Amino acid sequence: MTTATINDTINETNADAAADTAATARTDTPVLELDHVSYSYTKGGKKVLADKNYKFHAGRVVSITGPSGAGKTTLLSLLSGLTTPSEGKVLYQGNDLAKADRYRYRSRDIGVIFQSFNLLPALTVAENIILSMDASGKKFDRPKKEIAAELIAKVRLQPEYLNERILHLSGGEQQRVAIARALSYDPAVILADEPTGNLDLATQDDIMAIFRSLAHDEGKSVIIVTHSPEVAAASDEVYQLAKLVRHHR
Amino acid sequence: MFVLKNAWKTVTRNKGRNILIVIIVAIIAAAATIGLSIRNAADNARETGLASTTVTATISADRSKLMEQARESSSSSSSSSDSSSSSSDSAPDFSAMRAAMESATLSLADYQKYEKASSVPVSSYYSESTGVSGTDSFQPVESTSSNSANSSSSSSSDSSSSSGDSNSSGQPGQGGPGGDGQGGGDRGGMMMTSGDFTLTGFSSDTAVAKAQNGTFTMTSGEVFGYGSDDNGKVIISKALADFNDLEVGDTITVTNPSDTSKTYTLTICGIYENTTSSNTNAMGPMGGTSQDADNAIYTSVSTLKSLGLDSTTTANDDDDNTTTQLTYTYVFDNADDYETFASDVKKAGLADTYTVQSADVENYESSLVPLDNLAKFALTLLIVVLAVGAVVLIVLNLFNIRERKYEVGVLTAIGVKKAKVAAQFAIELLIVTMCGIALGVAGGAAASVPVSNQLLAAQVSSQETQAASQQEQFGRGADMGGAPGANSGSSDSSGSSSDSSSSDSSSSNSSTSNSSTSGNSAPSAPGGDQGGMRGGFNRAVDYVSTINATVNLKVVGQLILIGLGLTLVSALVGIIFVMRYEPLQILADRS
Repeated sequence: MTTATINDTINETNADAAADTAATARTDTPVLELDHVSYSYTKGGKKVLADKNYKFHAGRVVSITGPSGAGKTTLLSLLSGLTTPSEGKVLYQGNDLAKADRYRYRSRDIGVIFQSFNLLPALTVAENIILSMDASGKKFDRPKKEIAAELIAKVRLQPEYLNERILHLSGGEQQRVAIARALSYDPAVILADEPTGNLDLATQDDIMAIFRSLAHDEGKSVIIVTHSPEVAAASDEVYQLAKLVRHHR
Repeated sequence: MFVLKNAWKTVTRNKGRNILIVIIVAIIAAAATIGLSIRNAADNARETGLASTTVTATISADRSKLMEQARESSSSSSSSSDSSSSSSDSAPDFSAMRAAMESATLSLADYQKYEKASSVPVSSYYSESTGVSGTDSFQPVESTSSNSANSSSSSSSDSSSSSGDSNSSGQPGQGGPGGDGQGGGDRGGMMMTSGDFTLTGFSSDTAVAKAQNGTFTMTSGEVFGYGSDDNGKVIISKALADFNDLEVGDTITVTNPSDTSKTYTLTICGIYENTTSSNTNAMGPMGGTSQDADNAIYTSVSTLKSLGLDSTTTANDDDDNTTTQLTYTYVFDNADDYETFASDVKKAGLADTYTVQSADVENYESSLVPLDNLAKFALTLLIVVLAVGAVVLIVLNLFNIRERKYEVGVLTAIGVKKAKVAAQFAIELLIVTMCGIALGVAGGAAASVPVSNQLLAAQVSSQETQAASQQEQFGRGADMGGAPGANSGSSDSSGSSSDSSSSDSSSSNSSTSNSSTSGNSAPSAPGGDQGGMRGGFNRAVDYVSTINATVNLKVVGQLILIGLGLTLVSALVGIIFVMRYEPLQILADRS
């Protein structure tokens, strides 16, 4: 099973989105862009992020690193559309996310792999994956179960895992399911939060190989939030978040 | 679609919890079903019970109001004699009150005026009764020979004889005159003036059929006609005929009770036998109201008129001792018409001192007492069950949602809109509660008929026990009906109608208080003046003892509405919870 077949099998109903994805893969237009982004939890309160600018391109694996408290998790929530910046804009394909339908953005355009995976433990692997596919509202030309099975194979899990409950899986296995879920609706951006945090080295390499393949072979923009130097070294770019400079307050 | 699918999946996934909710909802729904069906059936019984049957009604004076007026105006002394005969009345106010009551009696013309004022179809019949005395050749059936031609002494002689028949007949005769007699429909008001016989004129066959002494059959001859051609024709009871050795075609002569020189000659055109036995006790109030059922002479209104004994004539003359009691009865197709008529006559100028009453309706109402109690009980049950059900559902749902906070986070994080999540939760609850309601309705439908009949039986028996204990209490309370009446009557003269009559009777007749009061209070009870208590135990009420509490579509519809309401209320908790959830929280939910 090659990644190309996966790509072919997922038919986006939104022709524009498909065209955009193709275009971003070819050109240097950033998929996601931080434009003078600042963030504080309360209005006028302490700034967790201050005046950040960065462009995320398709086909690249970008690592966001930095010490604790540098705002990595905040940046992740901004990029994933869970929240909006206090100042500045997060642009997805040139559109301000603050004004866009972020539920739609989350369900179709970005696949987030949370640090704690956030799979539903009562559901099986296949059900978790299909839930995301259903939520995206996209149409698929093959049975969803079949696509889920291919994705499971792609993240190198045995097919019998398909009907296993999340509860019965190990951390590494759950990680792979989370990746499979993030890929299921073919988003343009893959966002991973500490994807290798609690995995052994061999598994880390395995996961990183998957991410690189997604970026290089399928033209997705892969963003990894991590504090692991190995992961940073394995990525195409590293976006270093500095410890917040105090005089910004 | 996504929402529905997800909701269904979640429902099937969490079987344990949902079965629990289904059971709770089913119990609530079953109780609610029974409650609703009982109420429904009670409503139906009330609506349909009298809808198809004819209802008779009478207009009677509201005596307590009359009494008040009389008390205010009267200061006159005792001796004036009044229509209801007893000249030996010592309490001054009584006569004034009786006078007031007598003047309050409506005339035939009044009755007919009100009939015309009705906006609903109404038919009517009436009868007029007066007392006549016998002659040497024509004597009433009596066990003693103390018969007298003088009416003013007849009641006292009756009472002194103190034999069952004549005694019991005497008092109701006096008790009858006022509104009570009319209030009781045909039963009460036969006798104004005690003669030896009751001469009753009827307006039509219907009136005859509703004769106070009950139905009768002709043993020979035929019933008189109502035209003037048949004037002078009467029918008499078989006992009376046998007693006087009379046959059809014979003539009899009776005298005016107050003036023995006035004689009336009547021709017997038929001899009847009461279908109901002449045992007055069995007849209760009805038997008691005539001198003796056997001594009733029936004729047409036209005959009475030709003799100058009809109510219009006697009301106009000054002879207080001859008064004809008019019993005018309206007939309606159903109870609704009766209600309309009651309001129509008020508009037509019927004074406040009169009330329109229907023994049929009142009997029916009192037969519904257990059903009403049951309906009240059902309403209480319904409210309690629904309140408890709502609380239980809300609490369960609250815990449910809190448990599923993580799920909300995951769903919103992967881009499911909060409204959809909330809808999903509501639909899940709806699916579960609808299953519960379906089960509950099925169970309730199966149980409602036996359960409601059981409950109704309990209500009926408690009603009967109550009535019985009242009767026991009053019966033991010594000379009974007379006791409350006579006491109050003599002490402050505020006695109500039956009081004055019973005080009369006890003054003139001390020996028969028990039988007299039972005869007395019974007719007065339907009159309504006395309130429900006496009526409650004296009337043999045939309580509605079965209820058709089957579950129909209306009940099911109401239940589904209630179920929807409950579900929405309890789902609201979940909806509020979901809507307040911030997707960002998912980063903190690391379960």
